[in-house]
Amino acid sequence: MKTTHNILLSILLLTLFIACDEDENMSLEASGAFVVEFDNYVGTQQMQLDPAGSTDYRYANASGQEFNLSTFRYYVSNIKLEGPDGERFEDVMNVSANADDVEGYYLVLESDASSQFITLNDVPTGAYDKITFILGIAEEGVQEGAAGGILDPAEDAWFWNWNAGYINLGIEGTAADSPQERIEGDGWLVEENTFGLHVGGWKEVEPDDNYVNNIRTVTLDLGAAVTVSEDMKPQVHIVFDLLKILDGAAIDFSQTYSVHSPLLGAPLADQIPAAFTVDHVHQ
Amino acid sequence: MYISRFTANVCRWVGSLILGVCLTLLFSCQTDEIEGMVDRKYIFVKPDNFPEPTYTFDNNPVTEKGFELGRKLFFDPVLSRDGSVSCNNCHIQATAFADGPQHPMSVGVDNRRGTRNAPALTNLAFMREFFWDGGVTHLDFVPTNAIENAQEMDESLANVVDKLNQDDEYPALFKEAFGIDTITSPYMLHAFSQFLVMMVSANSKYDKYMRNEGESLTDAELEGMKLFEEKCASCHEGILFSDFSFRNNGINASFGDEGRARITEHSADQGKFRVPSLRNVGRTAPYMHNARFQTLEEVLRHYAGGVVDSPTLDPLLSNGAQLGISMTEEEQTKIIAFLKTLSDYDFVADQRFTNPNH
Repeated sequence: MKTTHNILLSILLLTLFIACDEDENMSLEASGAFVVEFDNYVGTQQMQLDPAGSTDYRYANASGQEFNLSTFRYYVSNIKLEGPDGERFEDVMNVSANADDVEGYYLVLESDASSQFITLNDVPTGAYDKITFILGIAEEGVQEGAAGGILDPAEDAWFWNWNAGYINLGIEGTAADSPQERIEGDGWLVEENTFGLHVGGWKEVEPDDNYVNNIRTVTLDLGAAVTVSEDMKPQVHIVFDLLKILDGAAIDFSQTYSVHSPLLGAPLADQIPAAFTVDHVHQ
Repeated sequence: MYISRFTANVCRWVGSLILGVCLTLLFSCQTDEIEGMVDRKYIFVKPDNFPEPTYTFDNNPVTEKGFELGRKLFFDPVLSRDGSVSCNNCHIQATAFADGPQHPMSVGVDNRRGTRNAPALTNLAFMREFFWDGGVTHLDFVPTNAIENAQEMDESLANVVDKLNQDDEYPALFKEAFGIDTITSPYMLHAFSQFLVMMVSANSKYDKYMRNEGESLTDAELEGMKLFEEKCASCHEGILFSDFSFRNNGINASFGDEGRARITEHSADQGKFRVPSLRNVGRTAPYMHNARFQTLEEVLRHYAGGVVDSPTLDPLLSNGAQLGISMTEEEQTKIIAFLKTLSDYDFVADQRFTNPNH
């Protein structure tokens, strides 16, 4: 009997959850769209990628060490908008094995221009002057278990198996000063003088307070209030400057060229909130 | 499923309402008929004396097809690079899904030797962290470690998914279980979890005694239980016989395998490993993360007189005049008699967990 209850309940509750998700979208009255663009820079230069191992150095850090980039990526999640008159929008968050049902998590890839534009739908009409988001996949995203699409490690996701969690920010390239030796593995290759800076780590589990949590929240003023309406779709142009991270953390490529743990990534994570600025808004 | 608090509250409220309606309906209709339709084999049942499960069933409810798919995967060497190693190689039902004494450290592809003893797979639905160092915090992500570890299956998750999609049987089985046309890794991991969460071991002699099901313990076992509570239960606590904390139990003075510190990157965690559950411990030899001890007698002798000091040694093992836990040989024998009452013969013989291809 009891088991029968449990089964019926599970089915009912499941149906209910799905129904509730739909309700949330449909119950909103007047709403419009809001576009967030992430535009990546290295200092004053627009970011450009080179093939892994290339010695064509486009950039230099504060101490003059030359480098280039082969991969640049980060996750953005939990986007919120706030307005001066109490307007509030919170992106719907959902983790699912079905890639199409993953909501509220975005992977910004320098190699894919379309990934740099995030369209928020169902934003209640009104004025907004503040945007908040999380850089990375926080506990709520990891602890729901295996997920599809941009969260699937067999597809686009970068995931640490050994210390389960997503790599929030991935920076790879070549630096003349990096002492990295060439390593050829079974089906993989690390080129000479390359660097890999992977910032991950989300845990803050009681009673174990030894974990390093590298999840950072970014809050930005839009400058002036922007209006969302059914026929106005504003676009906020956010600039990310990688030099703010590298120079802010005083990265010396001759010392720091292989970051693959939460502790090593912490100095980079600490610079994240200052690396984003609102460049301008298209009303 | 992660939804906003407001939505959750609304759902909870509507849920209560529907629950009420549902219960009313249930009581008023032909319950026997409904009961007959349900195959209890595929229902996750929390034993009454167990804590609430940690697994996210709302995302991945157990179904017959999903469970059977997970079972097939568990026994299938297709997961490994060269098709030579399945989960079952190191997790054997007869030893409560631990590795056998013949493989003190797991043996993977090309006969590669692992660095730790494969732990028993029991009551995983109730655990909050996995592996000896607790590096994984959700059951779904556990199989990936075995698949991608070079010492174990040495295969990539993406390759496994490709192989399954090209297989003669798997695409149809995934379609039946999850309604999908193309296999992706989260569905494969969900199938695994559906199989793994069902491995509930709660039917030992000890359980039957505690639940007053007509089982009795011998005098030695009862004395052993009392001694266990005094001397062991501060770490091996509760119905799962572990507080799942990480401790240095004094088997080494220096650590080639730094254990928990690998995950927390904190020197205070050097040489700490998870306190294992003692359910079925009579069948899971050898013992400790490095398979140091072959028998329970050796384990008890270690705690009585073999504990080695180091900066991170657990305080519970160094709070007396002498390191370790004060126990006479006779007391050790009685504790072992009690530990053997934790063997669950129903579990190790459960037909749901046998190789479906045999």
